[in-house]
Formats: sequence, C-alpha cells, structure tokens
Amino acid sequence: MAERVPIREGTFREGPDGGALLANKCKACGQIFFPKAKLCLACLHEELEEVPLSKKGTLYSYTIAHMPSSFFPPPHAMGYVDLPESVRVFAPLKIIEDKPFDVGMEMELVIEKLGEVDEKEIIGYVFKPV
Amino acid sequence: MREVAVLGVGQSTFGKMPEISAAELGRDAVLAAVKDAGISPRDIQVAYSSRLYDAVITSQDVLKEVGVTSIEMINVENACAGGSTAVRGVWKEIASGHYDLGIAIGVESMTTSPIARKLIPPQKDDIEGQLGLTMPALFGLLARRQMAECGATPEDFAQVSVKNHHHGCLNPYAQYKKEFTVEEILNSRMICDPITLLQCCPNTDGAAAVVLCSMDIARKHTTNPVKIAASALLSAGYSWKRKDITSSPLGVETARRAYEMAGCGPEDIDLVELHDAFSTEEILRYEDLGLCKPGEGVAFLRSGAPALGGKVPVNPSGGLLSLGHPLSASGVRVVAEVTTHLRGQAGKRQVQGAKVGLAHMLGGFAVGLEAGACGIHILTR
Ligand SMILES: [Zn+2]
Repeated sequence: MAERVPIREGTFREGPDGGALLANKCKACGQIFFPKAKLCLACLHEELEEVPLSKKGTLYSYTIAHMPSSFFPPPHAMGYVDLPESVRVFAPLKIIEDKPFDVGMEMELVIEKLGEVDEKEIIGYVFKPV
Repeated sequence: MREVAVLGVGQSTFGKMPEISAAELGRDAVLAAVKDAGISPRDIQVAYSSRLYDAVITSQDVLKEVGVTSIEMINVENACAGGSTAVRGVWKEIASGHYDLGIAIGVESMTTSPIARKLIPPQKDDIEGQLGLTMPALFGLLARRQMAECGATPEDFAQVSVKNHHHGCLNPYAQYKKEFTVEEILNSRMICDPITLLQCCPNTDGAAAVVLCSMDIARKHTTNPVKIAASALLSAGYSWKRKDITSSPLGVETARRAYEMAGCGPEDIDLVELHDAFSTEEILRYEDLGLCKPGEGVAFLRSGAPALGGKVPVNPSGGLLSLGHPLSASGVRVVAEVTTHLRGQAGKRQVQGAKVGLAHMLGGFAVGLEAGACGIHILTR
C-alpha cells in the first residue's frame, strides 16, 4: 500500500469520526488561527493551544475552475467555508450532481486522498454539500 | 520635503516578444522617457528598477544599454505593485533632497520567465495554492460575493472588459486593439466561474519608465510641469480580520493616505488608471478609491461614469485587460499614462481637460494576507 502523507503536517487529524481540521487558539486573547500560527498574530502572545474546528459550516463563496490544478483535473470547485468558530477556511469542494453550490448552503468536512505524488498518497481536506 | 515633477515618460511596445530581452525592453522605455524629458541619459543621478522574474541587478542591466553606469541603482520587487514602489523610491530620493533627477523603470519579460504560458505558481508553503487557489480562482470567489452582496451580474463584469477593450482600441500601445461585445466576452472560454478568458489580463512583455526631478529643474524645461501630489505605498493586513472580502482595507487605507497627502478627495479626480487584472476587480477598486460609495461599484459602472467621456474615466489606456500586464512594468506605466493625459497628449483616448489623475497598482498574494501591496500616486497639473 502506498505511503499516506498529509498535504500539510498538523492541519487536520483523521479518525473514525471523520477527522477534523486543527487550528490553534491564543491563550491570552482567544483568536483562532487556521492554518496554525507560531505566535498569536493578533496580540503576539506566544502560548497557543490546539483546537479542532467544527466539521460543518456555511459556504461563503465558491468558484468552479476550468483548468487543472496540482491535484484536480478540470472542472474542479473550491470555496471559502465559514465555520462556527469564526474561521474562514479555503478548501476544494466536492461537486455533487444534484446539489449545486449556493452561497450560504451548509457544507461538511471530508478528509480524503487528494492525489498521488511520487507514489505517495497525499491526504487533505475538502468540503461537500450536506 | 521638496516638490517632485514628472519630467519624462516612456514605454516599450507591449506584446509577446520572447526574442527581445528584458534589458532591451527596459532600454526602449528609458530612451523614450529620456527623449521625452529632453535630457541626456547621463543626467540621471539615481535609478530604481522593478522586475519580478529572473531579476538580478535590473537597473544596471537596462542602463548599461544607454550609456549609464556608476550611479546609485536600486532594484525592487513588490509583486504587481513593484512599479509603484520604484516610482515612490525615486520620488523619495528627490523629495528628500538626496538627488535632483532620477528614473523609475518597470520591466517584465513574461514570455521568457519561468511562468511563461502558466499561471503564477503557488509558493511551496502556500497550502491554499497547493489546494488549487490561483489568481483567477481568487477573483472568481470575489466575484461570487460581488454577485451575492452587490447585485453584480456576469453582464456587468463583461461590461468592464468591453469598456477597457474599447479604450484600448484608441491606444497605439495596446497589445489587443479589438472591440468586443458583452456576448463575446461571456462566450469566451470559462476560466474560473464566472470569469471568462476575455475578462483576464493577458501575459505580456513590456517596460515603462518615468523621469522624475525637482520642481526647480522641471521649471527650466516647462512652464507647466506635472507634479506628484501624493505617493503612498502600503502592505496588506491579515485576511482573518476581514469579514467581507469585497471590501479592501488595504486599498481604502492607501487611497486615504494618498488623498490626505494630495489635499484632495476622490471628487477631484479627473481620471484613474488602476489594476484591472480581472474585469470583476475593477468594480471593487472603484469602491476602494472612493469613486463611489462602498457597495455601489456596479451602479457606478452602469452609470457610464468610468467610460471615456464619463465623469471619471477609469483605465482610458485600455487597462491591463487590453494592454496586457507585464507585472512590474504596470505600476510605472500607469504613472506615465496619467502624465500623458494631464499634458493633453493622449490622442484619441485623451480625457478632456484632465487636471488631476490617480495611478493605482496592487499586487501579491500570500496565505493569511489580504494581498501584497498597494501603491497610489496622485498627479496634478
Ligand atoms: Zn492573542
């Protein structure tokens, strides 16, 4: 079986519950960062704790690209999903035939293989319409 | 601070010219600017050059072609705002009294760059880029919000492209001199929904140069010099602070600083040259620059105000959409274009009676930031 590697270490966890995106939160001011920040970019405090983000959010915007990207042949979709933690995540979106994208629709996280590079499976995060 | 004038402007041909080197493109722009200024290349005391791709000692590389060596030369990069950065560099040198005359050069050979025929690639640590985010995709995402929040339609977006291509037909420097209809724009190949091919600026080679000098020197050459009334350059803030991506704190603040420095407001501006990398973007910039109220960019466009003959013609040159976008050259080119209008020398595309003009350029993309940098110069005569 091919080796599985995350597209970016520490940005998500996998698991039987479907996994989750991992952010970090400033212990002083509470600001949440995704991807994680080394120090709080709001108040410069250096202690941050890892927090998992909600799996469901609303679609803030989307576009369907008609040219290839690193992992996806055209047409492929991508968008911003607003999560309840006040975090806006950029992610690829799964195109589902009978659920066309619409600003404000509910979206759900999926952790899955994005593609293969050098015989390694690249694992990443995407959102799909609920 | 001393007053600074634009003494000469020049640009090379814009187009796809892989057989011509960046140094040659720069040389053509410098020779045109020096001739326009009525000076010798050897009068240049300081040079700032901007270039993004394969760029090392661009000033030296260009100026050795015109007999200029052994002066202070500075080379800068600031994504698409690089040209604005070079102009501002020379402006600071003269305003502060370090030098009396200098040249700002912007040059890009896109067709020989590592990104020829490609999109600007994501950086290695750019996870959003690796996940598929490109410039057209980013503007596609923005466009969707413009539709959701401001009632913009695909036809509105296409209209910007129709307008700028119409302007470009009047500009001998335009790479594409062709009129398009809204239908033709909308029916061109879909790139990132709702943005079609004819709503994206093409990759282009080209260079522009402007000679700046102290007002004392300028008055020896002309009785009515074009003055740089404001020079503002700002880097972007964090994107997580932005609830609404259609508003640009970077653009708004850079414009505020420029208007404050010039002692005028958007209502005083007679023409604008701005970064229209995508048709959809131009509508956002009307709002950043205060040409209309926030959220009213679409209405401003529909009113005809930004067309030639309208209240504030925007991109009378044809903009990046029809001139093409040699990245680092564009920020210098817009200063040259505005100067040409203020002198009344813009031919068929002339904005009649222009006294105050604004030259804007914006660029750069990094995860977590709204953009890279925004540069604005306000010129008066
Ligand atoms: Zn903090």
